[in-house]
Amino acid sequence: MKKIFLSSIAASLLFAVSCQTDFDNSTEDVVVTSGDANFSKYVALGNSLTAGYRDGALYVDGQNESYPVMLSTQMKLAGGGEFKVPLMKDNNGGLLFAGNKIANTKLYIKSFTNGSPDIDSANSGTPTTEVTSVLTGGFNNMGVPGAKVAHLLAPGFGNPMGVPAKTANPYFVRFASSPTTSVIADFKSQNPTFFSLWIGNNDALLYALAGADDTAETLTPADQFDTYYNALVAQIKSTGAKGVIANIPDVTSIPSLTTIPYNPLTSSVLGQGNVAAGEATIDNLNANLYGPLNQILTALNAGNRIKPLSKTGANPLLIKDESLTNLSAQITYAASMSGNPTLIALSGYLGATYGQARQTTATDLIPLTTKGKIGSTQALPTGIPASLGARGISYPFADKYVLIPQEITAISTAINSYNATIKKAATDNGYAFFDANAKMGELNSASGIQWDGVKYTAKFVTGGAFSLDGVHLTGRGYAIIANEFLKAINTKYKSNLPMVNPNSYSGVKFP
Amino acid sequence: MKRILMTVALAAGVMAYAGGFRVSLQGVKQLAMAHTSAHAEDASVAFFNPAGISFIPAKLSVAAGGFGVSNKITFQNTSTLQQTQTDNPLGTPIYAAIAYKVMDQLSVGFSFSTPFGSTIEWPTNWEGAEMVEKLELKSFFFQPMVSVKLAPWASFGASYIYARGKVDWTKKVTQLDGRLNLLDDEATGHGFGFGFYFQPDSQWDVSVAYRSPVDMKAENGKATFNVSSALYPNIGLAATGGVDSFKATLPLVDEITLGATYKVTPKWLISADFNYHGWERYNKLTLDFANAPVGNQSDPTILVAPKNFKNTKTFRIGTQYMVTDMIAARAGWYYDESPYSDENFIPETPSFDNYVVTAGVGLKFNKLGVDLSGAYAMPESRKVNNKYNSFYGQAKANVFYFGLGLSYNAF
Repeated sequence: MKKIFLSSIAASLLFAVSCQTDFDNSTEDVVVTSGDANFSKYVALGNSLTAGYRDGALYVDGQNESYPVMLSTQMKLAGGGEFKVPLMKDNNGGLLFAGNKIANTKLYIKSFTNGSPDIDSANSGTPTTEVTSVLTGGFNNMGVPGAKVAHLLAPGFGNPMGVPAKTANPYFVRFASSPTTSVIADFKSQNPTFFSLWIGNNDALLYALAGADDTAETLTPADQFDTYYNALVAQIKSTGAKGVIANIPDVTSIPSLTTIPYNPLTSSVLGQGNVAAGEATIDNLNANLYGPLNQILTALNAGNRIKPLSKTGANPLLIKDESLTNLSAQITYAASMSGNPTLIALSGYLGATYGQARQTTATDLIPLTTKGKIGSTQALPTGIPASLGARGISYPFADKYVLIPQEITAISTAINSYNATIKKAATDNGYAFFDANAKMGELNSASGIQWDGVKYTAKFVTGGAFSLDGVHLTGRGYAIIANEFLKAINTKYKSNLPMVNPNSYSGVKFP
Repeated sequence: MKRILMTVALAAGVMAYAGGFRVSLQGVKQLAMAHTSAHAEDASVAFFNPAGISFIPAKLSVAAGGFGVSNKITFQNTSTLQQTQTDNPLGTPIYAAIAYKVMDQLSVGFSFSTPFGSTIEWPTNWEGAEMVEKLELKSFFFQPMVSVKLAPWASFGASYIYARGKVDWTKKVTQLDGRLNLLDDEATGHGFGFGFYFQPDSQWDVSVAYRSPVDMKAENGKATFNVSSALYPNIGLAATGGVDSFKATLPLVDEITLGATYKVTPKWLISADFNYHGWERYNKLTLDFANAPVGNQSDPTILVAPKNFKNTKTFRIGTQYMVTDMIAARAGWYYDESPYSDENFIPETPSFDNYVVTAGVGLKFNKLGVDLSGAYAMPESRKVNNKYNSFYGQAKANVFYFGLGLSYNAF
């Protein structure tokens, strides 16, 4: 008995001593290495997402939380050098060109009204950064807000003389080494040992944000994109630098295009908070516009285009859809034959205005910027009642205010094709590749992306990842992106750069 | 009573080092022998087994003691390489007990103890701040008991448990750029315990005891959202300035203890214990807010967090040698299981599989006993693989305890 007890005590003590109380591998002892890469001179190429643009502007705090700054901080643990950023003059952003404002200051939440953020421009919309005060010295973060792929190759893209005509980009003017240089030339002259390239979003994004209005923006054709992109990568390759390339997220899943519902018109909205007033407006619209139009269109077998408004439900917006058969002549004829003196008087106008009008459906996307335009006044020809000039309500929104399914499909098709080009360029040239499209898709899913208990989604304001412009990310969102770049780099070059903690960066600021 | 409670509240900042937030420190003499239970020399047996008080070799016995618990938890994130250490205050669990033989067959007793608790303080804004920055759990058990001798060698005892508790939990709410504090110091719960104690001959003591779960109910907890006041309307707290009330139930789980002591020689004894803890009862934590829609259920004011604790076992073995009639030397070893897997590791109650070596001395001055004990824990470092919170890394702990106990067998 004695022996058994004694030996079991001895055995258990031995067991206890042999158990592992310390970390088998303390993170404090981990040596961070660059693997096959050389991080001594890292230069980032890209657009606003690379520059750290957020809240509709480029400003110092945002620039300091750009993903290239995060990457460079981690690279410093493995031989990375100084990382210079062409910092703006202040934390409000916006630009002056020869004293005149050409870009507005950042957006901020002034207050909340009924749970919705009331968003305004910082510093009363007064920028202090003068474009023509050109910074000198090479810069590691060469992200140029607004740049498309072709722009990075364009000589003179930093020429101040080109700013008014928009042949140059004011953000590049600020740090271009000369008026004649190009982004890629300034990149090459820095002899980078490592690069990141995230470009191409604007080739589709600017078009989407412009409501796919061809007169305002163009969707870069896929073959052109392919040509420019490969020319750009060839230039980068000539430096011998190793690097990482990211593809383009589907621009139609960003909060800027998904926040405003297709049917925002309730009695309350139409009455600007006064439900009774809104109901009166609806009665009026149904009696004088929606009702007659619906009757006429029904007779033309197009009754689905416009239906009377509901006082209790959420009603869609009125838009002009250029893909529809133009029924102008038929509407004018029907109105003139209606026997209703008002309709007869307006018959020509009704046909001209509502020939391709329809109400929005769930397959349309309404850009965030359209929100403020709902109900704004359209100047009407003389003799037309002013009540017919409320945009989106009684006057069809023009193309630029709405993305219709045909436009969404065209954009998505273009992006798929761009992404095929990008993937091939990465593979063919042996660069690390980050599938930003997939990651942003994850963010856009219901489960979002979680880090240490904090869940990020693509929801506007509350999702935490997107800034107040609904297009660009917050510091936390950029950190999620930075981690994916880091993972891609580590995988390709056998380095072990540590991840960053997204929660430790800034999110949406509340009043 | 109130003053006692207050003093106790100040004294009893205790810390979970293993087995969830059960703090097995209810007898200094017992701790020296691996916190084994079959020791009926004085009133400190009352917590372990109410039946034990029938075998105290005195008509009136009192016992009291306190511990110091020093511990430090380290978390390391293997992807960011960041390491974080807790800054926990010294935990001080205490106990007191009294037992009185009304007649030979009938004994009554009372036990006060702090068997569950945890105080954990991570640095402000540490990487797990969304889950916890500071959590203080306290419990005070008040147990009146009665024990009857069924035979000269066997007794049965039972106790009623009245428990009071406190929770004070501060965590970040990153998406609102603020913090949430959950506070309730009026949680109460009820339970019972019973056991059999046997002394079949002069060599053996056998203790079999059960203590029921005690569900600590916070009925009117205070939830304070320290966020921008502009957000109060968004969380339904415009009228109250960011303050809400909440309800929650925290289970203090049941425990089965089988213990035996064998006197190898008149001077030398060996004890062994087996404990079984019903941690499965803590499978989730439900916070029911009055107004704030910060939950994750169909009712948006209800937040349910999975805990997925599993029942645990503890094995203890201890020994005592009477060096002289006055001096006892003691030692022990025990193994205590963590109640959850790596997938369910939570930084608010960090737990580890824990190997502990214990030692102590007991001094007898006639009717007065003075006991000193110390223990050194060797918690096993572990992986943290909490998918629910996307909280990944490794954790380790450094823990030791010391205690001073007094017992007095009056007559």
